[in-house]
Amino acid sequence: MRNILIIARRDLRAQFNSPVAYVVIGGALLLLGVLFFLLPRMGGGFLEGSFWERDRASMEELFKYLPLLMSIFVIPAVTMRSLAAEKGSGTLELLITMPVRDSEVILGKYFAACTMVLILLAATMFYPIVMFKMPWHLGQLDWGPVWSGYVGCILFSLAAVAIGMMLSSLTESDVIAFFLTTGALFVLYAIGWIVSAVPGAAGDAIGFVSFQTRYESFARGLIDTRAVVYFLSVAVVCLLVSFRSLESRKWS
Amino acid sequence: MSNDVMIYANDLSKSFGSFRALDKINFEVKRGEVVGFLGPNGAGKSTTMRILTCFISPTGGSARVNGHDVFDESLKVRESLGYLPQRAPLYLEMSVLEYLRFAADLRNLDRDTFRRRATSVVEVCGLAQVLGKEIRYLSHGYRQRVGLAQALIHDPPILILDEPTSDLDPNEKAEFLDYLKQIGRERTVMLSTHNLSEVEASCARAIIISGGRIVADGPLDEIRAKSGRVRYVVSVQESSGNAPYRGRGSPPKRGDVEEALGKIAGVKKLGEVPTDERAHACELVSERDVDLRPEIFKLMVDRGWVLLELHRDSQTLEDVFRSLTIGDERRNRHLGAAADGSDQDEEEEEDENDREDEEPGRAGRSEQSEKTAKADRS
Repeated sequence: MRNILIIARRDLRAQFNSPVAYVVIGGALLLLGVLFFLLPRMGGGFLEGSFWERDRASMEELFKYLPLLMSIFVIPAVTMRSLAAEKGSGTLELLITMPVRDSEVILGKYFAACTMVLILLAATMFYPIVMFKMPWHLGQLDWGPVWSGYVGCILFSLAAVAIGMMLSSLTESDVIAFFLTTGALFVLYAIGWIVSAVPGAAGDAIGFVSFQTRYESFARGLIDTRAVVYFLSVAVVCLLVSFRSLESRKWS
Repeated sequence: MSNDVMIYANDLSKSFGSFRALDKINFEVKRGEVVGFLGPNGAGKSTTMRILTCFISPTGGSARVNGHDVFDESLKVRESLGYLPQRAPLYLEMSVLEYLRFAADLRNLDRDTFRRRATSVVEVCGLAQVLGKEIRYLSHGYRQRVGLAQALIHDPPILILDEPTSDLDPNEKAEFLDYLKQIGRERTVMLSTHNLSEVEASCARAIIISGGRIVADGPLDEIRAKSGRVRYVVSVQESSGNAPYRGRGSPPKRGDVEEALGKIAGVKKLGEVPTDERAHACELVSERDVDLRPEIFKLMVDRGWVLLELHRDSQTLEDVFRSLTIGDERRNRHLGAAADGSDQDEEEEEDENDREDEEPGRAGRSEQSEKTAKADRS
């Protein structure tokens, strides 16, 4: 446990010592702001206008864009360095020849990456607080879906970060790790859009795998235990794969 | 296995796919020994060190470090090791002090011990000036020192250093080797290098590895004597320029000297050494226990030639190293078309080696190079 924390602390510090953390978190918040406030929404075939024109006290839009943004930008950028860059530069060799277990290395890096994503999530809390609580009162906000939305986002990130770690452990280049992760997470998210278009068992199967479908209920205020179990098991499986992949250096 | 054996490798093998990087190597390193691990590039030095530091696992055989098996008790092995990998890979975004503290934390050093150890390590490695600097701004030499510092921070009983001096300047090198000698009294140090003078400066014992096999292992003197040969350089006047020629008759022609020297009994190898047009120079190699100097002198007197120089030296470690590991180099050269004079020299040496395959190590090596040659063809 001690070693996990030491490794996680080092990784976090490395993220914040380099511009990566600031660019990622700052960029994500900026993009989110644009998407949330300025982008008009399509609803039921009608253009409903941007947040200001809709005149509704709802954070729904935030939870619509947040997972997508995290999938294609934040999580790949956070996890790309965790193992791939260390393998590429050889620093992994020094780390692993210290008296630490491989599992501690994986978990330490996973904790660090999750913490980064949680920092971003915490920063988005600013939106509802500022608009509906502290200086301004733009309306009566239903806080239930906000909390469940955050629970969903957290579970979503736990799984997505583990996927990123896994892909990062399979390559030695952080650029490749970034694009692999972006691709994988985007596909897992985007297949949710075609669920209704695919009939029968195939559609069900897609819905079962899709991160978007799993996540949607949280955004509506529903904590679905099946989704909880799904996200957590994806995380565990991917971490196990990265652990094995790290171990495989011994045999290759 | 006595308690004093700190590193013990038994039939250690490692294959990467069909490539045998290590082929059943055996060695022991005792407490208080500083051992130089020598070999050409790609001979298996780093592979061996990575196995000993539990970074990779052997495909066959076993290894014990400080009495612990590298496979079953890898944590204990790593606790008793200080390791500096090749090229000293460090976290570039950390400062030197941060990095040392990170290493110390993972080594479970408490704050006071860290402070005490850090002070001495920083002094030894000459890092006082750069403690607060980020590693990315340091030169390679300094990075190497930081790498050393992290290997020493927990005062390990065993140090494994993979080419520790490759990026140091000559002064730093000398200082570092002195320091190694000093700490090597109570500790076990294994350092790999292909620089022979370093081994001569700091190690009492060397292990020479080539093509994944150990070709020599023992005290330096023994290794030097291993080839059991003596080298002579003879140069005979060819033309005197403006000065009168002091010999009898006319000066020898090209080839005469070589031919005559080749007839002396006991000459194992003969080659011409390039000189200016005033002299013929030849290099002779003989067994250690015969002295060819009287014979050479007699030849000169009989022919009436003018002997300008005759000198005899036993082979240096470098020569031994070259003759022991040459198979490797030849294999590498198969692909390259470039061959200059020095290469030709080596070629001759090889032919010579091939002729007398009486030493088991050598026989094994040529077998090995045959194998690879086959692999190359297929």
